[in-house]
Amino acid sequence: MLRKSIFVVIALLLLVPALNVTAQPSGLPVDVPREELFVMDQIFRHPVVDNFNGWVNVPQVQPHRHAMIFETLWYLDQETGDIMPGASGEPPVYNDEYTQMTVTLVDSLKWSDGEDFNADDLVYTVETMKANSGLNASGWNSQLNQFLDTVEKVDDYTVTFNLLSPNPRFHKLFQARWNGIYMMPEHAFSQIDDLVAYTYEDGPVLGLYSPEDMDPNGYWTLFKRREDPGNSAVCQYLMREECGPPYILTILYGDSTKKAIAMSRGELDAFFNVDFEAFNSVLETTPTAQSWFPDFPWAYPNETSSRFIRFNFDTQPWTNNKDVRWALALALDIVTLQTEYIGGVAKVVYMAIPYTPKLSELYYNDERMQTWVENLEIDVAGEPYKPYDATVADRIAEWADEQGYAMPGPDAAASYGSGWWKFDPDTAATLLEHNGYTRDDNGDWWTPEGERFGFTLQATPDEPDSFRTANAAADMWSDFGIDVELQGLERSVWSANFNIGQFEVDSPWTSLVLPDGDGWPNLRGRHSRYYVPAGEHYNSLGGGVPERLQDPVLDELIDAMESVHPEDPQNVTLMQEFLQHWVENMYYISTVSFKKFVTWNELYWTGFPSSENPAYMPLYWFQGGRFSLAGLEPVGG
Amino acid sequence: MAGIKGLFTTIRDLMKFSTAFRWGFIVLILVVILAGLSWFSPYEEDHRRDTPLSKPPLTEISIGRDADGERIYSRTLLGTTSQGQDVFWQLTYAIRNTFIIAGTAVLIGRSIAVVLGMLTGYMGGVFDRILSTIIDSLIVLPRLPLLILIASILRSDLTTLGLGVMLGIMDWAHPSKRYRAQVLSLREREFTHTAVFSGMNPVKVVVREHLPFLVPFLLADVVSGFLWAIGMEVTLAYLGLGQLSVPSIGSMLYWGNYYSALLVNQTWVIIPAVLAATFTVVGFYMLSLGITHYLDPRTRLTRLGVSEK
Amino acid sequence: MTLLQQFILPRLLQWFIVLIVGITLIFLIPRMSPVNPVQDALGRILQNQALAPEDVVQMRDQLTANYGLDGSLFDQYIRFWTNLLDGDLGPSYGAYPTRVNDMIGRALPYTVALLTFTTALGWIIGIIVGTLAAYYPGRVTNFVSGVLVVIYPVPYFIIAFIFLMALTYYIPYFPLIGVFRGEPGFNSEFITSYLHSTFLPAVTLLVSGLSFRFIMARALGTAELSSDHVQYATMAGLPDRRLMYSYVARNTMLPQITDLGLSMGTIFSGALITEAVFSYPGLGTLLLQGIYQADYNVVMGITILSIIAIATASLIVDLCYPLLDPRVRYR
Repeated sequence: MLRKSIFVVIALLLLVPALNVTAQPSGLPVDVPREELFVMDQIFRHPVVDNFNGWVNVPQVQPHRHAMIFETLWYLDQETGDIMPGASGEPPVYNDEYTQMTVTLVDSLKWSDGEDFNADDLVYTVETMKANSGLNASGWNSQLNQFLDTVEKVDDYTVTFNLLSPNPRFHKLFQARWNGIYMMPEHAFSQIDDLVAYTYEDGPVLGLYSPEDMDPNGYWTLFKRREDPGNSAVCQYLMREECGPPYILTILYGDSTKKAIAMSRGELDAFFNVDFEAFNSVLETTPTAQSWFPDFPWAYPNETSSRFIRFNFDTQPWTNNKDVRWALALALDIVTLQTEYIGGVAKVVYMAIPYTPKLSELYYNDERMQTWVENLEIDVAGEPYKPYDATVADRIAEWADEQGYAMPGPDAAASYGSGWWKFDPDTAATLLEHNGYTRDDNGDWWTPEGERFGFTLQATPDEPDSFRTANAAADMWSDFGIDVELQGLERSVWSANFNIGQFEVDSPWTSLVLPDGDGWPNLRGRHSRYYVPAGEHYNSLGGGVPERLQDPVLDELIDAMESVHPEDPQNVTLMQEFLQHWVENMYYISTVSFKKFVTWNELYWTGFPSSENPAYMPLYWFQGGRFSLAGLEPVGG
Repeated sequence: MAGIKGLFTTIRDLMKFSTAFRWGFIVLILVVILAGLSWFSPYEEDHRRDTPLSKPPLTEISIGRDADGERIYSRTLLGTTSQGQDVFWQLTYAIRNTFIIAGTAVLIGRSIAVVLGMLTGYMGGVFDRILSTIIDSLIVLPRLPLLILIASILRSDLTTLGLGVMLGIMDWAHPSKRYRAQVLSLREREFTHTAVFSGMNPVKVVVREHLPFLVPFLLADVVSGFLWAIGMEVTLAYLGLGQLSVPSIGSMLYWGNYYSALLVNQTWVIIPAVLAATFTVVGFYMLSLGITHYLDPRTRLTRLGVSEK
Repeated sequence: MTLLQQFILPRLLQWFIVLIVGITLIFLIPRMSPVNPVQDALGRILQNQALAPEDVVQMRDQLTANYGLDGSLFDQYIRFWTNLLDGDLGPSYGAYPTRVNDMIGRALPYTVALLTFTTALGWIIGIIVGTLAAYYPGRVTNFVSGVLVVIYPVPYFIIAFIFLMALTYYIPYFPLIGVFRGEPGFNSEFITSYLHSTFLPAVTLLVSGLSFRFIMARALGTAELSSDHVQYATMAGLPDRRLMYSYVARNTMLPQITDLGLSMGTIFSGALITEAVFSYPGLGTLLLQGIYQADYNVVMGITILSIIAIATASLIVDLCYPLLDPRVRYR
């Protein structure tokens, strides 16, 4: 009996894998032929699987899901800074007072059920969203109520918006980087009683894809291209009858290691990012894989965000001392930081403006800014001092050369970013000493109050470049004699800390402007009127200043920007002034631009944007990513 | 005093008596020596970039410059990490810190457990019933989720020692029930009755007659407490909670994993930490094996018989 | 009557108190977290887009109301119990407007299937092999015990990772995530894909569970073998096999059954780490996600389930104990 039961158990154990050999299914959850299926990283697990209603206020992050199904009027491309056409092919027209906006729609779009898309749909969308407070995705309901008086159909493809007050940026509600008000099919939605509860699983779509199948557990979703792709905005823009893969599967495999494995198994065609180590192993194990550059520095360098060191102006008195902040900046060696810590793969920036082609032209290489930064003087113990060092990119180029890497761009600046601040510990020391700090025989700094000068620096390992920036800063400041404690915190813990202002110095990421160079939308919440003291959540009044900064000069500039059209040159000038004041005060110690190892495998699909084919951004998870997906072609097909 | 003296005699007896205990003891002594070496480490505990990055074991690495600015070279025993730390010296710190965490946890957890277990066991009645209900309510709470929850609530305030305290506070309900059971059974034994009838002071009964039985039991229980605390430390670190910049067995594994050590074949970063955990636990397990065997009344009788001869 | 009054009723009462205290604790603890679920959700919404400050405030109020987090702590507590008694665990914050009931319902079968199977199988194999090892000490059994004792302390996720690397990467045989095909149910497509996907997490759990069970069984078996009645039986010349079944195996079963009952109770909090490593869609991954997003309702839902399961399991074990062990009488 005993022997028998052991036998049964062993037999069972052997049987389980044996059973599988007979019918070995692929690691993919769907049975679509690979030449019709593009598999891309879903980035996160969809918490709600079967609800595609993009108009209700739910906290899920799902733009790439939206990008496939929905259509709004315009999109922002982060590579070029261009505004791409969606349901409207022309820029909006405002009256002189900015109280009226007129939009012209593309006249050849159809819903996937064959109905025409026209002005009625747009008017219906806007009126429905304005009237129903449940349709408050991304605050659209409240913003429409805040800014919009009425919306009128002029003719079948022209709509006029009458605004409550002058607003040169009203169209930004329909201009998506991440999200924008999505068009509703009037003919279908007017039949539905409760649009808030509606899940929109099989309604007609204006985008290129509709949901076909999904994992009830949220790990993957399969999208199918509509029957008439030629009637979608993106195919029409590309001037093609058919565009994009017939099926797209978004799938979450897990952490970097698992994504790398999945790609080596040919079960993942594109992922949004992995860490440097996993990326290297992808290059080794998957010969057909590549990121933006085929060689060094590989990664895509132009996502609109940047890394920096942030001070909490409400915790320690020293953070409010401009000299100390400058001393800390001068004690950092940006070349070492960018090469040894970041691996040379992200562009250097000295302000929280990423070094993209468009933004570098507006804010770094613009003549006014160039002259300003090169002649910038700060006061060091009564003496003027020029902190700017224009040779940074060249020195990084030298380092890359030593490693045997070729330059990816036309020149050092285009490849490695802007200049930065001199690495000058002596001047940093003078600045501190001038403020009453003293240095003992060991080289350790003491505050004027007679305490050891030190602070904690918080960062989350989950964001590799931010974490490595923090690592570099902690190491360099320790060498300089400051007692820095680096705390690596789990992501949610880290963000809870800065939300309520429980940090001294930390290492986050942001961009002060949008990809097209407009600053005001990102800056309006920085006005001092939204200031909340540390201890309370920084956005208690709706504002956006976790570092608890108040500066009347910045307030004035923000107010001035509000009434200027985003494409007015005056807008850029105001933003430049804002940045100059910001840098002179060293509010942030900015380090590098964003980079992402957005990587694809050319095993089954080709035509993904790259440095050789830089027409669009490869950031498929943003709304503008629709163009990069639509341009894909099957290999050998 | 009597307790400590008893402990030493017990250990001596155990060494003589049980091979498992002997081996376990030797393994643990080695681990403790390793932890002790951390005080002689040439590198500071939380320093990074002291060595070249990601070098395999036994490679020659530059570890700094001498007074003349010449590079000093040295062979690294177990390789270096992706953060520029020597794995061997990291390991010594890691074992030390993990021992501190687990030791604190055991000390706190068992103190509460012993006191409550003895109180409930000896006092009985309503007091016992109320306390036992409270203990039972705590036992049903799933501990791992609770730990994760509390660790993420405490966030950066959770120091190494704090983690030990937290683990200790979470790990007394089960043992206190076991002590209570032990005390209850001792109370019912004949010698207790004999002692009480012969007019012995109850405190003396507890100290003289019961403690000798409780101490070895405590020892075995300490072992299981240690194992649990190490396991939890490692698990929390894996999830990125706790002080990641302070080396511990868990944080070594975390960073190894963070830099995809297994994927890029840098196994030397992971293996020492796994071995350290394994050796520690196996050492403790063998100790407890020896102790269990030793506690067994029959073997105890044989042993007493032998030693009398 | 006396049985009911003296034995069953006090235990039922205690079970009841334990539940109330445990659930109240689990209501309070997440609320001490500084991670505010509304702010957390708002953070995700605002991550990549700028919004007018007035709208941020309005949105926050809307979310607070949606989540049922308005009102004082006491109001929330009352509301929580009212809903709980209706069997409603409230909406999830991270997956609003999905109900926690639905989410748990979706994840529960996966976790229960995985853990029941591995716990039971580990229990059976561990006891059989462990008892055998105790009974026939020798080179082979020493080797087996050596291996299992060494595996036992290796952290879960290391075992999981080794399996993952070996069988999805070097030998790319098993899928990287749970790939479940066909309608969940008793059809060959689903079962094949289920086995295929569950194999790695199951083996991980089995290996760890088995080594623990083996160690326990061997220790109990060794102790039992040296006990008086077995010694007498041997001297009386009872055949070996008989001895093993009737004495060693039977007498060591009692603590094992108790322990199995309690382990089954812990199933409902999921296999946190293993599930996370293998992206397995069970309660463990759900719980972890809930903790990180301060999704109180999900955390509470799963822990309440777990509390009820553990308390009930120990109640059942308590009540059945006298049936199994004649030495213990109901009193």
